[in-house]
Amino acid sequence: MKFQKKRASTNQNIPMASLPDIVFMLLLFFMVTTTLREVDVLVDFRLPEAAAIEKIENKRLISYIWVGKDNRIQINDSIVRVEDVQSIMYAKRQELPNIIVSLRIDRGTDMGLVTDIQQELRKAYCLRINYSSTIKI
Amino acid sequence: MLKKKKIAEASIPMSSMADIAFLLLLFFLVATVIDVDTGIGLTLPEFIEDPETVEIAKDRMAAVLINENGDVLLDGAPISVFQIKNQLKPRIISKIDLPATRKLIVSVKTDRRTVYNTYIQALDQIKMAYFEVRDETSNAEFGRKYKDLNPEQQEFIREKVPIIISLAEPEAIKN
Repeated sequence: MKFQKKRASTNQNIPMASLPDIVFMLLLFFMVTTTLREVDVLVDFRLPEAAAIEKIENKRLISYIWVGKDNRIQINDSIVRVEDVQSIMYAKRQELPNIIVSLRIDRGTDMGLVTDIQQELRKAYCLRINYSSTIKI
Repeated sequence: MLKKKKIAEASIPMSSMADIAFLLLLFFLVATVIDVDTGIGLTLPEFIEDPETVEIAKDRMAAVLINENGDVLLDGAPISVFQIKNQLKPRIISKIDLPATRKLIVSVKTDRRTVYNTYIQALDQIKMAYFEVRDETSNAEFGRKYKDLNPEQQEFIREKVPIIISLAEPEAIKN
């Protein structure tokens, strides 16, 4: 008597042809959801720590102002003077009416400079601000 | 005898397509920074050339003064930065049931040479006091924390406990 191995008659391969499509879908998802960092930060800063902080929901509305340890102010890709903040921010507000200005200021900065920047922002009608700070544990 | 030449089949190997796509995927995973923006939000007042001064009842105001050494005065009494929250909370709570025109106003004033870090710590304390009062109020009203409420309930609590922080108009430079 001859024994015959019993095998399912169906094809047992997983179809590999759709793998690239699946991976491309993943890729597209990541490409769409992530925002690439578009500016180089030229100043050196350490953010202050705070506990009662909120997340900013809408990333596209944010515009940054950096202030470094050496009191230099950076907007976009360049170092600017305090007097120029108003005109630059006003132009930005024209494009984005409900702009949120995120102030990334070094923890050792004098309040005088911070107040000056705030006054410039008020003149430019950029009234929604956010003092960027890290979470205190 | 003429033989028909067999046409060689031209094809791109498709099996490596997945690998290439994975490489691209890895590049995007590594190259992107997902940094959540966190911070203390605030709305500045509009800029007016000659602001009118309005008298405000003494009991409505909580004046926080910070000098260049980081010493804090709350309504004239010297306290440490970390006491601000506990000092403010009862004052906020006492004004929950008052109309909107009589809620507490916290005024923050700094010297030009105050360190930014101290200012943020003070602001943090003030915000924390408000957040805790909001949580307590919503717990009493709805039995849930403020962030778990639905939008209408949040609006209700926001009206009861509005966060009014006034940044004092900076004085003319006195150097």
